[in-house]
Amino acid sequence: MAGLNDDAQWIVMMGFVVSFSLFFLAMILNQSTVVGQTTAEGVLEFPKNDIRDVRSVIISSAEIGDPSDVHNDITSLALSRKGAVVDYTITPPTGSDLNTHITIHYNNGVTEYNEIWTSP
Amino acid sequence: MVNESGQLYTIEGIAAGMIMLVTAYLVLGATSVYTPGDTHISDMQLEQLGTDALRMMNTPVNGTSESQLREIIENDDANAFNTQFLNYVNSKTGTETDNLHYVAEVSYRNITDGGTTWSYPLADNNRPLTGGEHPVRVTEWVIVHKTLPPDAPYAPKDRAVLVEVLLWRD
Repeated sequence: MAGLNDDAQWIVMMGFVVSFSLFFLAMILNQSTVVGQTTAEGVLEFPKNDIRDVRSVIISSAEIGDPSDVHNDITSLALSRKGAVVDYTITPPTGSDLNTHITIHYNNGVTEYNEIWTSP
Repeated sequence: MVNESGQLYTIEGIAAGMIMLVTAYLVLGATSVYTPGDTHISDMQLEQLGTDALRMMNTPVNGTSESQLREIIENDDANAFNTQFLNYVNSKTGTETDNLHYVAEVSYRNITDGGTTWSYPLADNNRPLTGGEHPVRVTEWVIVHKTLPPDAPYAPKDRAVLVEVLLWRD
């Protein structure tokens, strides 16, 4: 230790230890504040209510006599006002199959949802 | 020849300086993130509250009647919407009410001009948006039996429209 008095090295080392532990505490504090934001963002950006809502309107539209206008309304409004590509096909009961089948596709660029719904 | 005593002190000084700089950077970064993180949480609650209110208004009371929201849109009944929606979102436990405000619009596909999207105002509670609020947007699909646009030369028929509500607290 060139020309330096090498007493009190223990004190110098403890100084380093304390500074580095403060540094890591600051890092943990920094991360902890982001936790609330990422959680809330995850909830806000996941289109749970959008999918439920569009699914329920599609299923109720199966009971309408002339559903062609409603089909165009849903696909075009979902794209222009909700930024989501929605498409669906309603297969009414045929022959021995007494159930209505609906295939639903939803995609907003991040979340994709597909379902084949069968009437109870 | 430079005197080379005290090198340990120099190294310690540089290390301490860097640690202080990085800590200050982390702490400043942390506080600037905190405010948006906080508002996200209340946005999340507001969005759920508004969605639930619209969902309740769009649920028929029994299997044969129409939902309240559908009747409101078919009759353009802004007063009924105002009363019912504010009742749902502003109710709290006890006698005090919450202080939420809203602007509601209806979007539909215009079938007379090839399918562009048009909107018209449905209701509001006399609090126009000034730009300083921090509203969230909630929506609800409704199937209505109505002529859209209102001056189109068609008889009323079943259409799907999107009710869009901007909701904020102040």
